[in-house]
Amino acid sequence: MASAPESGTAQIQIRFTTKQEQYAVPDLPFAVPAGINSNELNVLLNELLREGRSDIKASVDFDFLVRGEFLRQPLNELLEERNVSFEDVIDVEYVEQHPTPEPMDCLMHDDWVSAVQVRHGWILTGCYDNTLHIWSKTGTHHLTIPGHSGPVKAVAWVSLTSTVGSFVSVSHDQTAMLWKWNIEDNSVDCIHVCRGHERSLECVSVNNNSTLMATGGWDTLLKIWTTSMWDTSSTTSQSSGDLEETEIKRAKLDSSSKSHIKTPIMTLKGHKEAISSVVWTDNQELATSSWDHTLRLWDAELGGIKSEIAGNKSFFDMSHSSLNRTVITASADRHIRLYDLRSTEGSLVKSTFTSHSQWVQSVMWSKTDEHLFISGAHDSQVLLWDSRSPKAPLFNLEGHEDKVMCVDWSNSRYMVSGGADKTVRIFKSRHAPSKTGSEEVKEEL
Amino acid sequence: MRKNMATTKSASKRKLEKVEQNGKSNGLVTLNDQEESDEGDYLQTISDNDTTDDEGDQSGTEESDGEGNVIEDNETDDGEDDGSEEAEDESEDQSEDESEEGEEDASEGGEEDETESDDSKESDLEWESEASEDEVIKPLKIDKKLKSKAQSHSLDARESNKTSSKEKTIDISSSKNIESQGSEVQETSKDEYESGDTSDEEDIRNTVGNIPMNWYDEYPHLGYDWEGKPIMKPKTGDTLDFFLKRMEDPNFFRTVKDPQTGQDVVLSDRDVELIKRLQSGKIPDAAFDDTAPWIEYFTSDVMKTPLRKFPEHKRSFLPSKSEAAKVSKYVHALKMGWMKTRKELAEEAKKKREKNFYMLWGADDNSVEEMRRIENHLPAPKRHLPGHAESYNPPAEYLLDREELRQWKKCQETPWKRKIHFVPQKYKSLREVPSYPRYIRERFLRCLDLYMCPRALKMKLMIEPEDLVPKLPSPRDLQPFPTSMSMIYQGHTDMVRCITVDPKGQFMISGSDDLSIKVWEVSTGRCMRTINVGGVVRSVAWCPNQALSLVAVAADRKLLLINPGVGDSLVIAKTDILLKEEPEDSSAIPERVKAAVQWEQAKNEEWAAGIRIIINHFKEIRQVTWHGRGDYFATVMPEGIHRSVVIHQLSKRRSQVPFSRSKGLVQCVLFHPVQPMLFVATQRNIRIYDLLKQEMVKKLSTLSRWVSSMSIHPGGDNLLVGTYDRKMMWFDLDLSTKPYQTLRLHGTAVRCVAYHKRYPLFASGSDDRSVIVSHGMVYNDLLKNPLIVPLKRLQYHEPNNDFGVFDVIFHPTQPWVFSAGSDKTIRLYS
Repeated sequence: MASAPESGTAQIQIRFTTKQEQYAVPDLPFAVPAGINSNELNVLLNELLREGRSDIKASVDFDFLVRGEFLRQPLNELLEERNVSFEDVIDVEYVEQHPTPEPMDCLMHDDWVSAVQVRHGWILTGCYDNTLHIWSKTGTHHLTIPGHSGPVKAVAWVSLTSTVGSFVSVSHDQTAMLWKWNIEDNSVDCIHVCRGHERSLECVSVNNNSTLMATGGWDTLLKIWTTSMWDTSSTTSQSSGDLEETEIKRAKLDSSSKSHIKTPIMTLKGHKEAISSVVWTDNQELATSSWDHTLRLWDAELGGIKSEIAGNKSFFDMSHSSLNRTVITASADRHIRLYDLRSTEGSLVKSTFTSHSQWVQSVMWSKTDEHLFISGAHDSQVLLWDSRSPKAPLFNLEGHEDKVMCVDWSNSRYMVSGGADKTVRIFKSRHAPSKTGSEEVKEEL
Repeated sequence: MRKNMATTKSASKRKLEKVEQNGKSNGLVTLNDQEESDEGDYLQTISDNDTTDDEGDQSGTEESDGEGNVIEDNETDDGEDDGSEEAEDESEDQSEDESEEGEEDASEGGEEDETESDDSKESDLEWESEASEDEVIKPLKIDKKLKSKAQSHSLDARESNKTSSKEKTIDISSSKNIESQGSEVQETSKDEYESGDTSDEEDIRNTVGNIPMNWYDEYPHLGYDWEGKPIMKPKTGDTLDFFLKRMEDPNFFRTVKDPQTGQDVVLSDRDVELIKRLQSGKIPDAAFDDTAPWIEYFTSDVMKTPLRKFPEHKRSFLPSKSEAAKVSKYVHALKMGWMKTRKELAEEAKKKREKNFYMLWGADDNSVEEMRRIENHLPAPKRHLPGHAESYNPPAEYLLDREELRQWKKCQETPWKRKIHFVPQKYKSLREVPSYPRYIRERFLRCLDLYMCPRALKMKLMIEPEDLVPKLPSPRDLQPFPTSMSMIYQGHTDMVRCITVDPKGQFMISGSDDLSIKVWEVSTGRCMRTINVGGVVRSVAWCPNQALSLVAVAADRKLLLINPGVGDSLVIAKTDILLKEEPEDSSAIPERVKAAVQWEQAKNEEWAAGIRIIINHFKEIRQVTWHGRGDYFATVMPEGIHRSVVIHQLSKRRSQVPFSRSKGLVQCVLFHPVQPMLFVATQRNIRIYDLLKQEMVKKLSTLSRWVSSMSIHPGGDNLLVGTYDRKMMWFDLDLSTKPYQTLRLHGTAVRCVAYHKRYPLFASGSDDRSVIVSHGMVYNDLLKNPLIVPLKRLQYHEPNNDFGVFDVIFHPTQPWVFSAGSDKTIRLYS
């Protein structure tokens, strides 16, 4: 404390709290200069820890939370912003700083990478040259899958076992393709071609138990398909009344092709412009974001709109976290916005994250940490954010030289991003020790 | 006592009046006028005596004398009918005559008095009153006779006297009465009435005129007689005489002193009787019957009908116009000061009479008063009072020594730095001081200073330029609009001249000088396709018909209809099928059109590239534009002279040349979004043609030299025109043929203008590399004029050979704007 330079005559009383028990310190208030910043607090806290504990020798970096926000500026400025009285004892929560992600690999592609998804150790990417690629986590290229006749816009793993995997890809050619990948002999088959959309597709999402998938695109329609590999005729018969004539016609038109044609089991109308992203919030509920400035919540079972949230910019991407049940969106500006779909009153935008300088193209929540998410933007930056720190990101995952078009954090170990510089960059995400759960280890195989 | 007197007095007066009236009407005149008035006056005399008792007779009489004399004149005035001076003179003459007569009378009266006084020598007062009654009546009877004679000539005068005598102050009348009674009561019965009015004769023995009698106090005489000899005052005895007189003289109690003549007057029995009656509160005239029956000369009842038979003339109820005019004239004259009231005139006269003093030291104060009217007056600076140094004989310390003098002289160039502006000099006496050589000049300069220096603060009209600008809403309130650059579409190798966005807003096509068009994905900036068209692309236009996937591209002399192959694959396929075979066209194409335009099906390689139809033109195509339905499109060839505008029909693959004569160098054409109208912009004017009626509807004059581009509001009632002379003009077609507003936002030529289809936005691109986005709200309310607010200047394009932005176009659904620049890029602003 003595080492902290005097940045003002005012003193503030603070109390350190933490949820990480291994770093607990006595619950005593300290008087610190008002203008103290997080570095100085860190020094102070480390001193305290060293005094109290003998087992902690190395100094640990902490982040400090004041009133639910990371301390990124001098303490008094934050308090003034929040209108907090200087008289009170201020609770300062500290957490161990998120470890710096390490750049792991750079996967070179032939064209812009527009889609990427990781499942276990496998990285599936979609390119503007109409191809799909499968990479291992070590960065070895396993497969190039041509098949689409237009740029691939989104990919999603459906299932993955040690021997066989299946995934879906959607493209500008107005189709979604369901692929089966035999890992052992490294062969891939297009099982189904999902036809029904009238314009290019933009997004695809598979529900949690991998039975259904939803696609959306420029024809403003949201279509729900089964992911089953086997019976196409049955799905056709099951298809709801929303099925339009053209779809049937088209299905007949393309019946000559080898792969079976799949038709949607449900078509949901409602958006006025292109659907830019679709997310399953649970097994029977969908959330979509659209260029018509709205977010909509759909009931996949009944086929109707549950609720609608209007923004004031076109949405480009959204991500839903099953941990905190909130949604972050990327829209046609440089801000990332956090929405709570459940709330209807008050400000719909819970917080705004601003650091990008161009359109944010893609956002993704962490699967394991309710506060963390990553974003990729046209300013060729991939940023790792903590939702408690709206003004500044935690880390800038540097590497891309052109627009970032997609990010993925499906596997909590790897933060993957693809962009217009024809590369996919992989960052290894080291988690704070407390967070490394056993399930992740399991998942990693 | 006094109060009682007053009441009785008034009562008696009233009765007197009645008596008079009675006398007149009945002819039962028992008293002559003299007596009537006298009687009234007696009352007053007595009452006055009461008041003056304490002070003493002398002073009381003295006072009364002066006043009495004054009113004497009045009486004469009143006696004559006219107040004119001549009449006055005459009356004076008359009165002189009368006074002569009166004197004679008086002398006679004196004799008679003696006789009478002899009669009543021994009698007491009470006894006297009784005894005298008979005696009084006798002469009265005589009086009556005399009166009837005299009445003829004195009637008029009498009547006026009646009133005047009542007005007389008490003392005067008392004096009159006393004299008339004391000495002449008896003789008046003889002579006095013959001579005429008696009141004039009362003062006959007053030889001094209207002067206060106390002036004669010091003198032994009182006035002068005819010969000019002083009339000696009658001897006044001492107290012993007075006592003896009282003791001896039986008439002492009725002897009073005439203050004007100084003579003792013995009151007659009649006088005493009168006094007694008055004192006892009775009517002075014993003969007056105060219980006589009342004669109603005028009814006491208020009459219900007016005496006059005819009603008042109408005119009498109306204010007179001529009088009103006169009054207003006077009022005006009064107001203007031409006419002055008596009061003012009096004041003026008074002022004139007063001495006018010149305010020697008042000049300064006056000027302050005057200058107060001048707003923000700056008083002239005052000069300092002369100090010791200015003295002709200053003390030695004020004289400059050598060093100081040197200093003083050194400041020749900078005289304002000197402490004093002159060199003090010493003279023995004021007489030796030479005349100041620069006096005249300095006075003159001072006067000049005072005259030339404006001594009022000039109030400048402070109008901020901002105040003149109409209040516009803040751009913050007009969101959304493009504010920053979001995307750069790179790929062209030469200037990008034109852009067009597909109706959905997913793709965008640009045409460039590198002889190619490129298809871009809007959201990512990805170039989806490049199609070589073999000519400089000057215009591209996406077919608005969403059932067709077709873009019209103007490349040099060819118009290419290209299927870009993006979007709905079904539509793409259908379009290809539709355009594969030419429709059979039986109708002959006129020679004029044929020479200008030939349709041509694309060849194999061209087909593969996406080109479906080629329309060869005979001149370079500057612009292509689609009709809203997507079947017709028009091309502009500025060099085509009379065939500069060609309208093509896609479904029939036919062309028309709508205008037989060109009205100028056609710059661009535009279809009305909803009505069958064509806008044709020549260099200076814009003509609107009705395509159905085939006639010109309107001609808009731009008042500029060279129109570059135009754009029509989706509502169809507003037209935006950009010109090469830096202006942008907003035409409200309902309003007038003149621009509703002219915007000079750009520094250089405006190349292109565009409206947004949904948002109230318009944009313009210019050679100064900037795109300016403005708010252009068109209200449904016809009474409300469009609101135009410039919002944002977007200047991101890099300079390239003096060109800036070639084309701007809005995204069909989002508030985004694209601009095509000479720096080979297309930029998206959001």
